[in-house]
Amino acid sequence: MAFGFLMLASILRFMAKGWVYNMYIKPKLFFPYYGFEWVKPLGETGMYVVFIVLAISAFCIAVGFLYRYSAIVFFLGFTYVELLDKTNYLNHYYFISIMSFLIIFLPAHRYFSIDYSLNKKIAATYAPNYFILTIKFQVFIVYFFAGIAKVNPDWLLHAQPLKIWLPAHSEMPLIGNLLTKEWIAYFFSWFGCVYDLVIPFLLFVPRFIKPTYFFVIVFHLATSLFFNIGMFPYIMISLTTIFFTESFHLWIINAIRSIIKGNATEDAVIYAPQIKTVKLFSILFTIHFVIQLLLPLRYILYPGNLYWTEQGYRFSWRVMLMEKAGTAFFYVHDRTTGGEIEVDNKKYLTYMQEKMMATQPDMMIDYAKFLKAEFIKQGFKDPIIRAQSYVTLNGNGSREFIDPQVDLSVQSNSFLQNKNWIKKY
Amino acid sequence: MNLKGNIFILGVIITTLFFIACDKKKKDKKDDNEDTSFDKPAMLANYSENIIVPNFQSFKIALDSLVNAYTVFIQTKTVADLTVLRQKYIRATIKFQHISTFEFGPSESEIVRSNFNTYPTNTLTINSNINSGSYDLGTVSNLDAKGFPALDYLLFGKNETDASLIALFDTDAKAANRIAYANACLSEMQTKTNSILTNWNSNYKNTFTSSTGSQIGSSLGLLVNQLNFEVDLLKNAKIGIPLGKKSLGATLPEKCEAYYANNISVKLAKECLLNIEDVYLGRSANGANGMGLDDYLEHLKATHGAESLNAAINNQFAITKTKLDLVAEPLSTSVNSATSTVDAAYLEMVKLLVLLKTDMPSALGIVITYQDGDGD
Repeated sequence: MAFGFLMLASILRFMAKGWVYNMYIKPKLFFPYYGFEWVKPLGETGMYVVFIVLAISAFCIAVGFLYRYSAIVFFLGFTYVELLDKTNYLNHYYFISIMSFLIIFLPAHRYFSIDYSLNKKIAATYAPNYFILTIKFQVFIVYFFAGIAKVNPDWLLHAQPLKIWLPAHSEMPLIGNLLTKEWIAYFFSWFGCVYDLVIPFLLFVPRFIKPTYFFVIVFHLATSLFFNIGMFPYIMISLTTIFFTESFHLWIINAIRSIIKGNATEDAVIYAPQIKTVKLFSILFTIHFVIQLLLPLRYILYPGNLYWTEQGYRFSWRVMLMEKAGTAFFYVHDRTTGGEIEVDNKKYLTYMQEKMMATQPDMMIDYAKFLKAEFIKQGFKDPIIRAQSYVTLNGNGSREFIDPQVDLSVQSNSFLQNKNWIKKY
Repeated sequence: MNLKGNIFILGVIITTLFFIACDKKKKDKKDDNEDTSFDKPAMLANYSENIIVPNFQSFKIALDSLVNAYTVFIQTKTVADLTVLRQKYIRATIKFQHISTFEFGPSESEIVRSNFNTYPTNTLTINSNINSGSYDLGTVSNLDAKGFPALDYLLFGKNETDASLIALFDTDAKAANRIAYANACLSEMQTKTNSILTNWNSNYKNTFTSSTGSQIGSSLGLLVNQLNFEVDLLKNAKIGIPLGKKSLGATLPEKCEAYYANNISVKLAKECLLNIEDVYLGRSANGANGMGLDDYLEHLKATHGAESLNAAINNQFAITKTKLDLVAEPLSTSVNSATSTVDAAYLEMVKLLVLLKTDMPSALGIVITYQDGDGD
């Protein structure tokens, strides 16, 4: 399956770029997700083993060898790596985790695979609709929430952040000058928004599938041209093929088959799992999708501007929505002498970690707690860790981000607690 | 059917939108023929032709004349020639402030900042190197025992009179070793500087001007990142650390830049700030203000509150300069005798750093990481 090959390419690209070292071996501290603080990296050899296992399991998924086990291994391995450090959180990594979870249940190995060649008894040419539907529905959720998130004043009325991002490419041949025009930023903003809101519906209509798919390709290729978002566009382009009709897929399979070996004809077999399995699956899928529908909406529970506070921002398919940057100065305050030390962030954090931390309050708490432990080791008694931080959002000038007097090391990252020390936007 | 109908209508809407947009594209091309994109190649050319290369040339001239003065001094060993030598040293360190920012391309391969100016210098290592007479300045352990800070110690000395310092180069048992050591420090810098200039003139000028993107590794990205690194050095190494910002408020006068010359630390900080402003404005040493980051920000209409971002940055440069002007030499005394004055200058540098490091790259859309992003 294409998913397997693309994942294999992703993993190899990841290793080739030296990101394994930069992200999971070099850092002195990691920013875990709330509730997943027990997830720890495995050291240099361990991390490379994990990535090699991921590459092998991706390959096995692609050729359909020990499909279900490979899918489970891939899902667990990939999710493990992602949970290590929220610095590296990307919506499309989250998407891959979810997809690899969903494909565990797909009977994708029951036709045109090595598993199938080894054991013809599992053969099935038709998968029940609801299996395919889970994938389709997941893609629907991603697009739709991404679209809803774009319905906001900055995106639609001010064309931010595209107004900043597009002119930065003014040196591109042919279209460079065009990118500096203001209306182009508006056009891209509105088009992106309408696209995300409409595409998931159009994909369900077989009649429109060809023109719709054309838009899918154009849209994702455009994004890959302008922004460094890695493999994501290609993943989406290949995944949306699931909306095509069966004849299209058979046509591809036969094309590949005719290259590998001669043609063969099969009888149609409908994959019919046992009733018990079906029940179990449907409960699982229901829970999964209820979570999927509620998670992106959790931001409603917190006051303030979501983009500013980022409370409930992750896991919500909010992509390309803001140009946010910040600088944070951390201070270790000694209670007894009243003296203070300005922390050299570079000493403890990688460039990427420092950049992400400066604009994300929950990471500031993690870092403050780390600093406290670090300075207690150096002989401080219960120091106060405070930070002065300036953040700019979507081209509005930088301003103070959090209360500089608050002791960050005693704050909590609990979902239940609003971070009231973040200044109003 | 109803649903299908709705979807069909939506489909028609986007298609129409798309065609309207296409039409508009054509119209716009007719309407504003003029080029609305910023002339990045011209800006980069201004940086390389009028600022970076000339600054390296001035530095080379200052360094060469320092080397000449040293050659004269070790022959005559007179107070007069020591005075000339020290003046040439000060001149070279001032010129160094105007090249330190450009740590990319040829400078990056020579690791100029660390090799030329790691301070405070390690007098123990210097003395043990001189005593043994065997050392390799290329090793990491000697980073803080060479370059300008080592020469600062060798030429000005710690509690030495002119006569006693000259004696160290003359009658001292290790005088020959000392002469050779200072010479080694000077020639290392000379070799590296010559190589950097050759590289800029032969091919890097072209490489620099033709890399017009905004991604990491692009000339603009390199320039902005190194500019911020320099502001950080100004704020921390030149002012903050001596002021006690990293030591619970306990001042550390001995960590001042050019501590042994002792009356130029503030001057060097001012020169550094001036160079940062020059780079921001695209202004060359002769005062000609060419195309620079300020013009780019104006072109993009970047704002900061009610004013333009460029106005905010210019304003902050002015305030920082005023506050730094109030700090008296030597800095090693001022950090204790006029702590609040130094602190005031420091606080303005923090604000300048925020504007240049947070607002400017964000407004320019500069990508500062190799990793994939979500755009958040």
